[in-house]
Amino acid sequence: MIINSIKIDDTFAEAFNMRGTRVIITALNHKWAYHAANAMTGFATSVIGCGVEAGVERELSADETPDGRLGVSVLMFAMGSKVLMQQLETRMGQCILTCPTAAAFAGIESDDQISLGKHLRYFGDGYQTSKLINGKRYWRIPVMDGEFLTEETTGMVRAIGGGNFLILATSQPAALHAAETAIEAMKKVPNVIMPFPGGVVRSGSKVGSKYPKMFASSNDAFCPTLKGLVNSELSDDIESVMEIVIDGLTFDDIATSMRVGIQAICDLGEVSGVKRISAGNYGGKLGPHHFKLHEIMSVASS
Amino acid sequence: MSALTFTPKSDSAHNIDCRRLTPNILANLTAAQIENLSLLNIKNSAKIGDFFDISGTDTNHIIFKNTHHQLDYIGHKMSHGQITIEGDCGDFLGANMRGGNIICHGNANDRVGDQMRRGLILIDGNAGDYCGSRMIAGTIGIYSNTGNNIGFAMKRGTILLTKTPKLHATIQDCGTHTLPFLALLFKSFNAFSTPFNALKNLRVQRYAGDLACDGNGEILICNTNVSA
Repeated sequence: MIINSIKIDDTFAEAFNMRGTRVIITALNHKWAYHAANAMTGFATSVIGCGVEAGVERELSADETPDGRLGVSVLMFAMGSKVLMQQLETRMGQCILTCPTAAAFAGIESDDQISLGKHLRYFGDGYQTSKLINGKRYWRIPVMDGEFLTEETTGMVRAIGGGNFLILATSQPAALHAAETAIEAMKKVPNVIMPFPGGVVRSGSKVGSKYPKMFASSNDAFCPTLKGLVNSELSDDIESVMEIVIDGLTFDDIATSMRVGIQAICDLGEVSGVKRISAGNYGGKLGPHHFKLHEIMSVASS
Repeated sequence: MSALTFTPKSDSAHNIDCRRLTPNILANLTAAQIENLSLLNIKNSAKIGDFFDISGTDTNHIIFKNTHHQLDYIGHKMSHGQITIEGDCGDFLGANMRGGNIICHGNANDRVGDQMRRGLILIDGNAGDYCGSRMIAGTIGIYSNTGNNIGFAMKRGTILLTKTPKLHATIQDCGTHTLPFLALLFKSFNAFSTPFNALKNLRVQRYAGDLACDGNGEILICNTNVSA
C-alpha cells in the first residue's frame, strides 16, 4: 500500500490488555492544572520500568469540569488493577495533594471503583471531612493553601496498551518532524494517550537479549547503524526510525488515533523524507489485539 | 407521576407528629392505603386520613401543603427521596435524617436536623432554637434568621447561613475562606427551587464546632452578593 508516495508495510501492531482510569484535575488556572497533571504523569512512559503509562488526554474548559474551574484530563494505564490502584494513590499523594490549588475528580464511570482520595484523606489527621453531594462522596482535606478537594473514588475500566507505528525516514530531523506532526494530530483524538517523551519513542525493543538477565533489548533490525551487521529491516536510504506508542480505552480509539497519525505523516508527502510506515509486533503470539496497518488505512481512504 | 401530597384538614388544637409520612415508610402504598394507616405506630392511634387530605402517587417525592407550625418530625429518619414543605413546619424537621432532601419554603421551629447523619435540609425562612443540634453529619441551609444555640453539640456536618447568628462559646471562628467544595454543593442546589440557588460566592466565614463534641462540624456564613 502506498499513500502519497509513502509505503505502508503489510504488517500489524500488537497490543495488550491493560487496566485504565481517567482523573480530572482542576486548578486555579490551566498553568497549575498542567503543573499537577505533568507531575502526575511524569516518569510514566512504560510499564516496564514505571509501573504505569500515563499522559494528559486533553485540556478541559470550565464548563466541562465538576467544580467549574479550568482543568485537564489524565489517562493512566497499567498491566493489572493492583498496580494501577497503587500507582494512582502514590501519584495522587505526591503530585496532586502537593500541587497548589489542585483538585481531583473521577473521570470515568465504571462498576469497578478505585481509590482516588479514599486513603489520602488520612493526611488530614482527623480534620478531614467528607461531603456526599448528588450521591458522590468527596473529601475535604485541610492543607496550607486552603482546602484540598478530591472525590473518594474513580472508575477503572478494561483498556488496551501498545498500539504503535514506526516512521522510517531518510534523516533523524525528518523522522522527528514527521513524528511531531503525527502527535499534533493524534492529540485531538479522545480516549488515547501517547505516553513517551513528546509522544515519541526512539528505543524500540525486541523480546530477549544475548544477556540472560535482560528480557528486552534494542530492536536491532530497525537500528540504522547496524544495517550491515544484522538481518536489517531497513533499506539503504533509511537513516532514522521513530515509533509512536498509543494506549487507549478501546480498540477503535487506538485504531482511530493510528489512522489520524499515519494520515498526517502521509499528507506531508515525499518531501518530508519519510519513506515507509511500519509497526512493531512480536509475531502475533504475545498480544491479543492486532492493529493491521492496511486495514486501518483503507478505512481512511474510503 | 405526581408527588404524594398531604394537606392538613384544619388547624389542629394540638401538634401533629408527622414522623411516619416519609418516602421510606410510605413506599409502594396508594393514597387510600395511606389514609387508613395509623398516624403513630401505636395501638388505637388515629388514622393519617383523620388529619390530612391525600392526593398524588409518587411516594419518593412528598409535598406538604397549607402547612403550619404544629407539624412536627417531618422527614424523621428518611433515607432517600424528597420532601417539600410549602409553608411553615414544627419542631424536629429532618430529625435523625439518613439521606434525601427536605426543602422548606417557610419557617421551621426548634431542633431542625437534630441528630441527622446524611442528607440536605434547605429552609427559605427562619429556623428556631437548637438548629442542627447533635448533628452527626449532613447539610442544613437556613436562608433567613436562626434562634439560639445553633449547632449545639454538633459533631460533624455543615450549616449554611446568610446571617451571622448568636453563637455559643464552643463554636469557634476560623476566619474567612474560599472553599472549593461549595462549587459542587451550590451546583447541586440547582435541582431545587430555593433562594440558595442564587449563591455563587465560594468565600465564606467559617465557624467550627461544637468543640464540646470534637468540633468537626462547621457553620458557614455565605455571602449573598452574586459577584465572586
